[in-house]
Amino acid sequence: MSIPDLCQWLQNTPWGVGIRESTLMFPVIEGTHAIGIALSVGVLLIMDLRLAGVLMRREPVSEISNQLMPWSLGGFAIMFVTGVLLFWSQAMKAYGSIFFRIKLALLVLAAINALVFELTLRRSIATWDTAEKPPFRVRMAGVMGIVLWAGVIAAGRTMAYNF
Amino acid sequence: MLHLLPFFQWCDSTAVGQAIRDSRVLFPIIESVHLFALTVLLGTIIVLNLRLAGFGLRTQAMPRVAGSLAPLTFWSLLTMLASGFLLFCSEALKCYDSPPFFIKMAALFLAIVFHWTVFRRLVNSSAEPGRARAFATVAVSMILWFGVATAGRAIGFY
Repeated sequence: MSIPDLCQWLQNTPWGVGIRESTLMFPVIEGTHAIGIALSVGVLLIMDLRLAGVLMRREPVSEISNQLMPWSLGGFAIMFVTGVLLFWSQAMKAYGSIFFRIKLALLVLAAINALVFELTLRRSIATWDTAEKPPFRVRMAGVMGIVLWAGVIAAGRTMAYNF
Repeated sequence: MLHLLPFFQWCDSTAVGQAIRDSRVLFPIIESVHLFALTVLLGTIIVLNLRLAGFGLRTQAMPRVAGSLAPLTFWSLLTMLASGFLLFCSEALKCYDSPPFFIKMAALFLAIVFHWTVFRRLVNSSAEPGRARAFATVAVSMILWFGVATAGRAIGFY
């Protein structure tokens, strides 16, 4: 089965049709997806601003991370579930949309940025945890995160209107 | 709302409103700025309310968290008001016919007033507020700010 065939099948399942043709469910799911940006990305941005050495400079990075990331991750769980449901109900449209593909690409890049940070830069955190201005690479990771998430939001918005 | 019509008509007829309507990219760009600033604004509101409820940045004193986030809240709100007004000018008459728009503006007014009076006083005081007062403040703050966002989203649907 090719990807377009899979998308066609997916959006024609009872679930897919139900969501797509509902009066209330689709707006609620889409609304939750839009509002959930605040919990997932909004909280993460504050973390990224600390990494960039802009905000809360006198608090240890690890402390802010440990205290805020669980909430952000909870937000991302909501984004993932609602995102899957939205895709499920309009898979063909999403698959064919250049803005959806851009959004996914930027999401992947944002995830890679986070992964690189976790696997490499975080190793040395003991040396810069309390620094008001973390090392250049760490600050870059923060800035990249902010830029990439701004891109995801813009792509998501454009996708919703250019369907 | 009849007495407001002239104002809406004036905004709709401004040069900047016309320019945004004529351009294919200006509206999406300004709206994306609006949405990103919203993410920042709501991010600060969530973190502040989490702290008020005793979650999140627990090891920092409430006034310290509030002081750190205040500039971010202020500038992101300012960006939203500016970008929002530009978007409004490009479709003022459409907004005039939209009930969610008026709900959004009412909620926005209340959210701003509440945030810069009751809420600010509470989060800037070094005394830890009682549970009831803290939760009531969190509830009002979240309902108002997310009410603005939800009403804004609803404009697109009605």
